[in-house]
Amino acid sequence: MTQVMHVRGLAKRYGDVRAVDGISFEVQHASLFTILGPNGAGKTTTLEMLEGIREPDAGEITILGERMRRVTRAAKQRMGVLLQDGGFEPHLKVKEVLQLFASFFDHAVSIAEILERVSMTDKAGAQVRTLSGGQRQRMAIGAALVNDPDLVFLDEPTTGLDPQARRNIWDIVANLKSRGKTLLLTTHYMEEAETLSDHVCIMDHGKIIAEGSPLELTAGLGEETLIEFRLDDPDTQTLRQLEPCCKQIRVSGSQATLETLDLRETMARLLDWSEQTSEEFHDLRIRQPNLEDVFLAFTGRKLRE
Amino acid sequence: MKDVLQLARTHVVTAFRERVTLFWFLIFPLFLLTILTLIFGQLGQEATIHFQIALINEDHAAGPESFSALIESTFVRLSAPQEDSDMPLFDLHQAPQGESASFLETELSELRRGDRAAILVIPQGFHTSVRSSFGGESSGHTLELYMTDASVTSETAAGIIEQILSGINREILIRGNAYHTEQAVEIKTEWLGQQDGKGVSYVDFILPAIILMGFFTNGLFGVPGTLLFNRDRKVLHRYWVTPVTVPRYLTGFALGHLALCVLQFALLYTLGRFAFQANVSFSNPQTILLLLLSAITFMAFGLFIAAIAKTANSGMAVANILNMPMMFLSGMFFPVAGLPTFIRIIVYANPVSYLLEGLRKSVGVQTGTLMPVQLTYLVPLAWILVSAMVASRRLRWDVDP
Repeated sequence: MTQVMHVRGLAKRYGDVRAVDGISFEVQHASLFTILGPNGAGKTTTLEMLEGIREPDAGEITILGERMRRVTRAAKQRMGVLLQDGGFEPHLKVKEVLQLFASFFDHAVSIAEILERVSMTDKAGAQVRTLSGGQRQRMAIGAALVNDPDLVFLDEPTTGLDPQARRNIWDIVANLKSRGKTLLLTTHYMEEAETLSDHVCIMDHGKIIAEGSPLELTAGLGEETLIEFRLDDPDTQTLRQLEPCCKQIRVSGSQATLETLDLRETMARLLDWSEQTSEEFHDLRIRQPNLEDVFLAFTGRKLRE
Repeated sequence: MKDVLQLARTHVVTAFRERVTLFWFLIFPLFLLTILTLIFGQLGQEATIHFQIALINEDHAAGPESFSALIESTFVRLSAPQEDSDMPLFDLHQAPQGESASFLETELSELRRGDRAAILVIPQGFHTSVRSSFGGESSGHTLELYMTDASVTSETAAGIIEQILSGINREILIRGNAYHTEQAVEIKTEWLGQQDGKGVSYVDFILPAIILMGFFTNGLFGVPGTLLFNRDRKVLHRYWVTPVTVPRYLTGFALGHLALCVLQFALLYTLGRFAFQANVSFSNPQTILLLLLSAITFMAFGLFIAAIAKTANSGMAVANILNMPMMFLSGMFFPVAGLPTFIRIIVYANPVSYLLEGLRKSVGVQTGTLMPVQLTYLVPLAWILVSAMVASRRLRWDVDP
């Protein structure tokens, strides 16, 4: 079986808001599928329908070969879910939380193995209320893995975590992928999507606006290179002088971005321009387009507000 | 099944680790039992306690030097203002000369309403009969004491009056030089609505109420508290992405709740039995059935509150509002017999009233009846039914999106 999940025309509305507006996609076996989008794009609602805690208004879901309108109990036996916001009994110990979740499934992995997998062995006896944000999240991932699921949902697993804790989570996710699990991840961090994903699906206003591997998506923008810098007092008029050699010039606040197909030419002109106008530029950076630029190209907005 | 057991265990474990819960469910009832028993358990020595009693002396003919007059004067003396305290022990109601028969009738209805703690009657010919008993005959020299076991006050007053009378008994024996006679005065105690007249100690009387109060608080606060906080903090939200279902969760929760009630019972019973020498036994099947019914009724009532409250905090507020009236207007701490009609409506609708009276009767500390007997099971069952219906329709198990 290569297709673990198949979604057709999935839709959900809350009042007048179309939270998810008829989306379709497929998730391949042993791959990491990412839904990337800004807050309120419909990522979590989509996931919640696939996890079986929200009933879709329309659409069809096929999970692990079984077609369903609403996710069944049998399907849940083979799924692991990390919710974006969920609580735990603050007075339970870590191992008790895992025991509790393990009891919900017909088949469960040993608690010791789960603790090991999320690096929480030394915290097994600690009460939930004493854990740090990162530790809590690792325990939550542990709780999502107690049944050794074939399909794992990770809804914004690193939101609100510090860089170190975020890296720890990435390691756990990478490890799951290497063990052949199929993962469905949502995030609004483009580095996360770029680093981890096999397939990215960019969502905005309840719709999928672009889809493909990170490489395919960025390549779709063309061969251009981006030059970014900051100006003390950006003068858009004089920057226009650089237009002949650039594909596009964007200025937002003190931040300027030049898109070019000919880096050498543009750099030379940029230095000349700086000389003439005596504009100082700071934090000069030359980079290839990333998923952020893809989002920008499709929506005219940035991923993060 | 393992999921249900784990959920039950979780409920018990977290209740024990949360200090606030522990206080209200275990420490507070234990504390209350201790305080009440210490204060009211030794009423005999407490002159500040005040009882309304009636004394009817039908033996006036015997004259001022008679034993009948001795008894009367003793009670009159105890009803006079005391030097060392503000309140005399008794507020004595006495029959106007020659109207003792109709007076007894009025006083008996006062007693039934809870407005009198006891009525003592010195029958006609009492003095003569005691006198003659010094000669060896012993018949007919009994005093009549009317009590009601539907009231705590009456229970405690009975103990005090019996102590006083045993003092008088000794006095009579000395005066009569009748040292060979062991008992000059016999008391015929008549309990209203009563079959057998054994006295019970205060702790025996209050222990079933405290246990019931524990179950009540546990259901009223513990159930909506745990459910709504778990829902609002999205603990339940996490459960629903697993194969666990609401009925299974609820079963586990209920099992854990009953386990907590059993623990509560065990602790309170142990304290009452060993620290305060309670004799009351909870082992007969009817008592066990009533305890179980109580735990289930109050748990259902907690679900009802959870269903009508929007958030955990409003649930706690509703529980607080209902707690006091339901507990006090049940006869748990004071008799409800003499209350005005509009308040008695609450008493009759209150499941606690029925469960409490049923429980007290089943353990044998109360035989008098205030509540309609045939409703002992019906009213709590009706509450369970209504609560279950409201909860199944209105209780939300997850936060809104």
